Amino acid sequence: MIAQQIINAVSLGGVYALLALGLAIVFSIVGLINFAHGELMTLSGYALLACLVFGLPFPLAVLVAVSCGALAAVAMERVAFRPMRGASVTSLLLTSFAVSSLLKVVFQNGISARPQAVAMPGWMTGAFSFGDFTIGVGPSISIVVSALALIALELFLRRTVTGTAMRAAAEDFNVVRLMGIPASRIIATAFLLSGLLAGLAAMLWVAQRASVDPLMGFTPVLKAFIAAVVGGLGSLPGAVAGGFLLGIIEVLLQATLPGAVAPYRDAIVLSGVIAVLLIRPQGLIPAVRAQRS
Amino acid sequence: MAQVAMRESPGRSFMPAAFRNAGADALCMVAVLLLAALIIFLFGGAAMQRVVTYAAIMLTAVLGLQIFSGNSGIVSFGHAAFAGLGAYATGILTMPAALQRTALRDLPQFLAGYELSFFAALAMVLVLAIVIGLLTGTPLLRLTGSSASIATLAMLIIVYTLLVAGREITRGSQPFYGVPREVGLWTAVGIASVALVAARLFRETAFGLATRAAANDERGAAAVGVDQRTARLAAWVVGTVAAMAAGAMMAQFLGAFSPRDFYFDFGFTLLAMLIVGGMNSSLGAFTGVVVTIAVIEIVRRFEGGGEMFGLHLPVLFGLTQGVLAIAMILVIWRRPTGLFGERELNLLRRPGGRAIPASAQPPLHVEHDRLAADHLSRRYAGVVAVDDVTLAFDTDSITGIIGPNGAGKTTLLNMLAGDVEPSAGTVSIGGAVRAASAFRFARSGVARTFQNIRVFPAMTVLENVVVAARQVEPDLGQAEAAAMRELSRMGLEKSADQPAARLAYGQRRRLEVARALALKPRFLLLDEPAAGMNAVETAELVSILSAVRTERRIGVVLIEHDMRLVMNLCERIVVIDHGRVIADGTPAEVQNNPAVIAAYLGSRTARAKTASETTANETA
Repeated sequence: MIAQQIINAVSLGGVYALLALGLAIVFSIVGLINFAHGELMTLSGYALLACLVFGLPFPLAVLVAVSCGALAAVAMERVAFRPMRGASVTSLLLTSFAVSSLLKVVFQNGISARPQAVAMPGWMTGAFSFGDFTIGVGPSISIVVSALALIALELFLRRTVTGTAMRAAAEDFNVVRLMGIPASRIIATAFLLSGLLAGLAAMLWVAQRASVDPLMGFTPVLKAFIAAVVGGLGSLPGAVAGGFLLGIIEVLLQATLPGAVAPYRDAIVLSGVIAVLLIRPQGLIPAVRAQRS
Repeated sequence: MAQVAMRESPGRSFMPAAFRNAGADALCMVAVLLLAALIIFLFGGAAMQRVVTYAAIMLTAVLGLQIFSGNSGIVSFGHAAFAGLGAYATGILTMPAALQRTALRDLPQFLAGYELSFFAALAMVLVLAIVIGLLTGTPLLRLTGSSASIATLAMLIIVYTLLVAGREITRGSQPFYGVPREVGLWTAVGIASVALVAARLFRETAFGLATRAAANDERGAAAVGVDQRTARLAAWVVGTVAAMAAGAMMAQFLGAFSPRDFYFDFGFTLLAMLIVGGMNSSLGAFTGVVVTIAVIEIVRRFEGGGEMFGLHLPVLFGLTQGVLAIAMILVIWRRPTGLFGERELNLLRRPGGRAIPASAQPPLHVEHDRLAADHLSRRYAGVVAVDDVTLAFDTDSITGIIGPNGAGKTTLLNMLAGDVEPSAGTVSIGGAVRAASAFRFARSGVARTFQNIRVFPAMTVLENVVVAARQVEPDLGQAEAAAMRELSRMGLEKSADQPAARLAYGQRRRLEVARALALKPRFLLLDEPAAGMNAVETAELVSILSAVRTERRIGVVLIEHDMRLVMNLCERIVVIDHGRVIADGTPAEVQNNPAVIAAYLGSRTARAKTASETTANETA
């Protein structure tokens, strides 16, 4: 039972970490808090649904759905945010907020306001046992996928030129541009990565719930925002730490809170998070930024 | 005698110019609101009256948001939550006791059976708003920028969760019903008018000015003595009061509601209204509400679908939200400051309006004082920027600090200004000042300018200086006069009503000096005041600085690379290299100091120069 709860906690934390990481990558480079990140997730969910309805094999469907998330992120940047380049942080934030609202309306009218069932393969809902422990397949896959994604991203950022440029851009974008690296490429890659991560998170989210609805991305991404802030806005390791922290606290409280207090869970978690910020206003692992006197 | 009285009278008129101007703007907007309400009252049907009542309630909430977000630049999602809290509080306080016993069976005793009238309940809600504002603002406003925005989002979720979970008090996610519907057109319009006046005046108060200055440039604001956390908290609390008043009206307007009515969508509507009009001014909030309500009313007619011009329209979900989103994107894209966000009406600030008289009172000579650094060090991760520096500066003197790039001059200046915490050692002005805090240092007599100019670009030139003057003049009228005096001193009085962003580079540098002088400092620290200036501008600056020093007997400390300026202006020169003081004396002494020559030109040149001088002396 305890083992199962820990697995659940880590798997939820992993999803939050992927989402928060996607937000942090974009924020660290463009200074944008992308409210429409949740809609990328929703979009990937619908893409998966569509692929399965058209009879694509499951692995291929997942691949297509995740790529849809990534492409949608790049398209979103191209259409909504590129015309705004150089605008204030507030304008960018509000634009993404409006884009998010608009996409929700599009999903509601273009597809359906009601949740659509997604036929997940049977083996994903199973469980396997080690002696006394029973562990769900879904949460375990979720943990493995999150871990692999984090490692792959780390390798990309450390080992490739674009990755290195992106880490540099997070600290001081202007200097990176002076080094002859095109700004558009860096920004597009940032959105691409964030879309990939949102797509992956969507797959993990759908795998556990087996349905998609227009507001699917809303709640997890709200949590991811808060995770990103707790971790230190713009800090990639911070986002991962914040995501896991939030997920773990949430599941553990869910398991331990007495019935009468359980409905207050979110309020308790978030108040705790704000308390963390009181002690560390820059977050758990603050982002490094270039400063000029 | 008569002449003196005449000279004094404009300065002593019944209100400072900023408030007169703001008051005129507010009255004008209130007049428009009342007129619209009157027309609807006389000629509109019941449905139209409801629309205007709703608009007035939304206006109150949007103004609450504007007071905080417009002045601080931090987008808040939390005001929807405040409106919700106000609505539920009013619902509980005004509900008939008999109905309450059936609708809210488990309501705690201390909350039950008040049956207050609307205005009595409103009074209690406003007191509650102040408490809630202080409780939430104190932790949230430790964060800045986007983090603070997200924290307000967290607050929205917390409040929503509490409203849904606190079933005994709120009926949870079920509709809360049975609230008397006493708020009509005139109540809503009346309260919205009060909110309009409050929002327009708040900008000009000490808190409003300070909040705007901090939003423009945080370090610049601290350097003129602005305590940004307190100022922001004030804006937050006033905004909370307006938002909760709007919630109170909403409760009695709707009669029944649920937590969902005060969640994300409501927050989005408030923000969209504010952004469309323009977040930086109360005029923006006003026009934003008017325009969006009109758009919503038109769009709503199509939401249910039906036939239109022979076309069949389908039923559309969330059409209003969609249209608001598009309106918001278009506005941000085409006109980032909103339809009217760039400025207030400024009715009395038109050309030909009455100018603010400069204070005739001559600036005081400061008493003798001493700014002292005692064994001051600062290390940055292994690099020692300033290494055990002990120095003292007196009033009535001009000292130049010179040294090669990276010598630690700016770090030293930052520590003297309280902007950077020393790793070791202390700074004292007369008595010791407690822990490094730029705004406390500024208030205790150390003013400064920055190497990269930090004026407040979105504020007028006059406002830039008034922010500083307010820190030493408790009265706004006198602060304005003092600010005008400093502007004239710097030759900027003609540009007083322009936004500082429009000034040329040299003018901005002078504005920064004027702003620093408005603090009536005993010490003025200048970080490369002549950087980027041409020879004429530099000469002008030199004459102004030496005049200021003789007039006021303040201590001037400046960092400068322009050697001619330093040698002409300063009577004492401190040379710093590798974080240490390597020479300290008159310009002549320093110029011949071998250590200084070594630091600037390399040790070989120094040896050569010393050698040649020795030979010269010997030959002589």
